[in-house]
Amino acid sequence: MAGVIKKVPIEVLLSLLKRLRILYTKILGSLQTMPQDAAYRKYTEQLITQRFNHVKSEHDVEKLEKKINCGQIEEVISQAEAELALSRKMTEWKPWEPLVEEAPANQWKWPI
Amino acid sequence: MAASLVRFVRSGFGRSLNVAKQSAAIVQTRTTTTETRPTVRPKDPVTHTQLSEFGEYIAEILPKYVQQVQVTCFNELEVMIHPEGIIPVLTFLKDHTNSQFNNMIDLTAVDVPTRQYRFEIVYNLLSLRYNSRIRVKTYTDELTPLDSSVPVHQAADWYEREIWDMFGVFFANHPDLRRILTDYGFEGHPFRKDFPLSGYVEVRYDDEVKRVVAEPVELTQEFRKFDLNSPWEAFPAYREPKDAPKLESGDKPAK
Repeated sequence: MAGVIKKVPIEVLLSLLKRLRILYTKILGSLQTMPQDAAYRKYTEQLITQRFNHVKSEHDVEKLEKKINCGQIEEVISQAEAELALSRKMTEWKPWEPLVEEAPANQWKWPI
Repeated sequence: MAASLVRFVRSGFGRSLNVAKQSAAIVQTRTTTTETRPTVRPKDPVTHTQLSEFGEYIAEILPKYVQQVQVTCFNELEVMIHPEGIIPVLTFLKDHTNSQFNNMIDLTAVDVPTRQYRFEIVYNLLSLRYNSRIRVKTYTDELTPLDSSVPVHQAADWYEREIWDMFGVFFANHPDLRRILTDYGFEGHPFRKDFPLSGYVEVRYDDEVKRVVAEPVELTQEFRKFDLNSPWEAFPAYREPKDAPKLESGDKPAK
């Protein structure tokens, strides 16, 4: 039995792609709640739309993994889940606002 | 700029390719010039620019918390943040697809007593996906509590206990903040710069009471403090200009 790699059933692969598509739509929806000029929104929208276009165009999972070039499709799904949770927290924290408080003058000076 | 960033993300994998190109370049120069300096660490401008671009990317996304970003001469990226931004910045670095720093390597504190906020807390993170490291620095003083990073990285648990025990920095929302290295009734925070090398108490077994007692420390020899400064200047590049007394330029010499 050594050396025999079982093929992943087609239903599992399709469900993975479907999950990925759902996650990407949710992320893009969550990004819409941020101001247009926020850098996080700009860069994440660009990244997610790029990956989303790859997912829409490529139906073969192996070729899709090579196109996205970020590990296996399950890893890409976990990255998308993390990004979704992050975008929701970002809407709370609003990190695009200007600096909260400047550090005291000698705080980051090294050597003392 | 954004396109170059995406290319940067991809080049994390292609770093071996960059090294191959660099070594080819070095081989070419070796044939033309005979002067080499094998004992001097070679500067890597490619990694330096990559890291500084990534640092600018982070500073652009999180301007609310990031105060300063720098790349050391050893090509290490350091991000200095305001203490309110510990949880947002660490969560961002962990969850964002372009960073994915999901591994906390180390969490320490540095005591610089001359500063207003004397303790500098340092988080070292590693990204396995992009094989890259980053350092996040914050500050606090003896009494201000910091947010615990245990909700973000579980590894911070014992590290924060150690910082509490050794420096006295309190972490809010920590699941179990108690002493970890010092003795059970120990008073004081040993890693602070004002805590003496020999400590304040020493322990001995007392036969009368049949247990270990703690008594004030008694040194048999007077503590010798050596002035270890070398006669040569240590950091010539960081020389500060001495303020010479300035003459007022208003008075003209009477003729």
